[in-house]
Amino acid sequence: MIGFVTWRLAQLVPVLLVASALIFFMMYAVPGGPVAALVGENATQEQIAAVTEQFGLNRPVAVQYVDWLLRALTGDLGQSLHSREPVLKLIGERLPATLQLAAVATLIGLLVGVPLALASALSQGSWLDRALSGWSALALGVPTFWVGILLILLFAVELKLLPAASAYVPVWQDPWQMIRNAILPAGTLGLYVSGIFARFLRGSLITEFNADYVRTARSKGLKEGTVVARHVLRNAMLPFVTIVGIMLAGFIGGAVVTEAVFTYPGLGRLVIQAIGSRDYPLVQGCILVILAIYILINLLVDVLYVYIDPRIDYG
Amino acid sequence: MEGPPQMPNPVLSIRSLNVTFVGSGADIPAVRGIDLDVHENEVLGIVGESGSGKSVTALAAAGLLPRTARITGSVLLGGRQVVGATADDLRRMRGQDVGVVFQDPSTTLNPLMPVGDQVTEGEVAHGRLARADAGVRAVDLLREVDIADPDNRARQYPHEFSGGMRQRAVIAMAMAGRPRLIVADEPTTALDVTVQAQVLALLARRQAETGAAVVLITHDLGVVAEVAHRVAVMYGGRIVETGSVRDIFARPRHPYTAALLRSAPRIDVTAGRLDPIPGQPPTPTDLPAGCTFHPRCPLHAGRTRCTTEDPALRPMGPGQAAACHFAEEMGARDPLSPGPSPRGEGRPVAAASLPPPGGRDSERGSPPPLLVVDDLKVHFPIRAGLLRRVVRTVRAVDGVSLSLAPGETLGLVGESGCGKTTTGRAIMGLIRSTGGRILFDGKPVHGLSRKGLRPVRRAMQYVFQDPFSSLNPMLSVGDAIAEPLRIHGLYDAAGGATWIATLLDMVGLSPSVAHRMPREFSGGQKQRIGIARALALKPRLLILDEPVSALDVSIQAQIVNLLQDLQKDLGLAYLFIAHDLSVVKHISDRVAVMYLGRIVEEGPKADLYGRPVHPYTQALLSAVPAVDVDPAAKRRRIVLEGEIPNPSAPPPGCHFHPRCFRADGRCGVEVPAFRPYGDGATRTACHHAGPLTVPLTPAPETLGASP
Repeated sequence: MIGFVTWRLAQLVPVLLVASALIFFMMYAVPGGPVAALVGENATQEQIAAVTEQFGLNRPVAVQYVDWLLRALTGDLGQSLHSREPVLKLIGERLPATLQLAAVATLIGLLVGVPLALASALSQGSWLDRALSGWSALALGVPTFWVGILLILLFAVELKLLPAASAYVPVWQDPWQMIRNAILPAGTLGLYVSGIFARFLRGSLITEFNADYVRTARSKGLKEGTVVARHVLRNAMLPFVTIVGIMLAGFIGGAVVTEAVFTYPGLGRLVIQAIGSRDYPLVQGCILVILAIYILINLLVDVLYVYIDPRIDYG
Repeated sequence: MEGPPQMPNPVLSIRSLNVTFVGSGADIPAVRGIDLDVHENEVLGIVGESGSGKSVTALAAAGLLPRTARITGSVLLGGRQVVGATADDLRRMRGQDVGVVFQDPSTTLNPLMPVGDQVTEGEVAHGRLARADAGVRAVDLLREVDIADPDNRARQYPHEFSGGMRQRAVIAMAMAGRPRLIVADEPTTALDVTVQAQVLALLARRQAETGAAVVLITHDLGVVAEVAHRVAVMYGGRIVETGSVRDIFARPRHPYTAALLRSAPRIDVTAGRLDPIPGQPPTPTDLPAGCTFHPRCPLHAGRTRCTTEDPALRPMGPGQAAACHFAEEMGARDPLSPGPSPRGEGRPVAAASLPPPGGRDSERGSPPPLLVVDDLKVHFPIRAGLLRRVVRTVRAVDGVSLSLAPGETLGLVGESGCGKTTTGRAIMGLIRSTGGRILFDGKPVHGLSRKGLRPVRRAMQYVFQDPFSSLNPMLSVGDAIAEPLRIHGLYDAAGGATWIATLLDMVGLSPSVAHRMPREFSGGQKQRIGIARALALKPRLLILDEPVSALDVSIQAQIVNLLQDLQKDLGLAYLFIAHDLSVVKHISDRVAVMYLGRIVEEGPKADLYGRPVHPYTQALLSAVPAVDVDPAAKRRRIVLEGEIPNPSAPPPGCHFHPRCFRADGRCGVEVPAFRPYGDGATRTACHHAGPLTVPLTPAPETLGASP
């Protein structure tokens, strides 16, 4: 087990290395550069040259990459070209906001999706099942930004119950304010992901309902509720845990649109801003952190399996 | 084997039971009006092929049919009506009045729950057992079914149990509440033959101890002959014949029963040719009018009564009844040596199609062998840990030597995990061998590259076990058969569509089916397509890996006969890999028995089946349930202890020694050499090889023996 985790953590190193090189060289392949954004439209050639020199952007790309890499290995991801603040500090400000949003959104997705899947699977083929399937198709199909805007119009503009722009309030500081601020963006993402959860878990449940051990359980004279809770649901949850992990990890960098609609101070919006201003070190740092967290969450899921599935043993 | 005296109140009493599955498509009539009674201390065997309705009948008795089933008629279990009972009543009945043993022990247990908890779960749910006492009770129940170290085993999960142990646990579970009726649906079909013998003996013992009534569903006539008192034969959703085991087997009165008995290869009889039932079993959605068996029946002979009137079950003698308008015509004819068939298409003369006795044997040695396998080894590394180091090796094949002459059939038998399939795949080059030599037509083929193997593969083709998954569902039948030709760039040279049509004709299919898709065919037809595909390149050797084990008995006989005809016409050599000793005996010239990666005995069929010298062969042969109802002729049986060890950690010395009744100190240390035995043609690997002289253990109790 410890060997397995060490091995998986060791795998992070080459992944991050390759990813960092790819991002670095790809950014240079994209037209435009940070200098133009920094100096403004009316800058002279001299000003441009000076700024270019100042940030070392006139050196060959490979040299710049190695330079960045060597400093990154010491834990220094450089400074933002734009705000002149350390990249790690900027990321550190946004990361808790993103993690909290992702967690709340996943929780809402589970609270909505799991009961839907159970109701669907238990009434397989009925009108309820069809209605619920339609609902999850809707949740999946409607773009999140549109749902977000509708929610803002309803709850913030019309009913004036909730803020239109969602601030990051840590849950341990003020749970009530946290809920007021997070409920709209997290609800938007949660509704979307509940469609995926419901659809996937329904399929998984239906497969397990037809399994031989379920027939065995019924032949023992167990109540149907016991059969579902103790036998069907536990087995159906096994593949489902992976999906939940993937969706949760996906929200770390992938909630950009929702963050933008609610002007939420998350990591996704930071990346978009950084790309827009060609803030190379910041883009690089953000993507690497998002990637590392994505991999770590999936590792956590794999480790979790040791506890929920007795057949799995990483030796 | 004697049935108990008839008791007034049967444990299970079924009258006019009809089960129809209603779904989105057409209604499926699975069971169409059956009556049966099972009494205390009685074992009723229900025999039938797939789709006959036997499992549906069993599920109906246990009240386990799904909601899509529309049930009419009456099922009285211990005097209580099952049909139309409320969900709560059904629930109380299950586990208390009826216990069920299902077919596949690898899927009948919940993988996420300790076995002990699962065994006692029913009793706890019924309120007969306090949760606090469940742990102790689980250990007791596992001990009752002879599971060693029950204290620790109760806490383990199903994946830590072997197949036989899982089935023991399922039996413990089904009998925990001491139900009056046990429904066992193919309880040993998924098990190896030596383990099947153990499980049947256990089921018999527990049945005798509790006096329960048993309904045993099986397709295996040998199992029925071994353990049942009475038999009901089902066909097309009805019982077509019922009676005592002895009457049914000795004097079947329904033509289907007689045909079924004739079509199964028998381990105790040497026949030249099997006598299959022509055609296919009916599909429930498309039942023939009148008697459902008439399209396949030799008695029908164009008589309109068979096509218009569904015959009722009528008494044919004490305790025997048959549903056939012309059952009297079956007379006292011995089913195993039938007289002239009314339709004149009976079985071909057996003796004529047989090679002269010993003919092949005496010829052997003169033609150079087509295939020589010498000390073949296939080892699979198991990697683990941080650096994926090889921690163990599974010696799947560990020094196998065999040879095969042109036109000869070598049967390769063994239980699961013995390495017989790996041997076949390694010969074909589908798996890389670790060591040893493979010579095809005198030329070495081991270690050849993909390209080098290509010309060899033309002459050597493989037929797979599962006809359902070994055909690409997206390719038409013609394209599937043509694929090997196209791969080798020989499609036009071989004659294109004309050759495909010839191949289809050779395997008994109409050439017009070439454009149809695999899903339109039954299992037997799919296996014919698989054989046609293997024949497309005009090979000289076919490796047949369990080619008939997924098929019904009557269809199995058709395919076996087809293989024998093709061999005679085309001079093919067969390596016939199978676990079914009766089929192997029927088709092979010589037989090799494998155990844990090694051949333990190899010899001409007559010697190996008649005078086996290796203790494993002896035990294996004695474990096969035979269609043999004469108690006087009942063979003594060797019930091996334990199960096949894990191939990744085989016992030292002779792999068989921990289960062997002749083993001594030497066997645990020294690997016996594979060498000729005596001056015959048999070779064996045993320090104590020799014929069986004294029966070692008495035959186990049969089910239903008085307690």
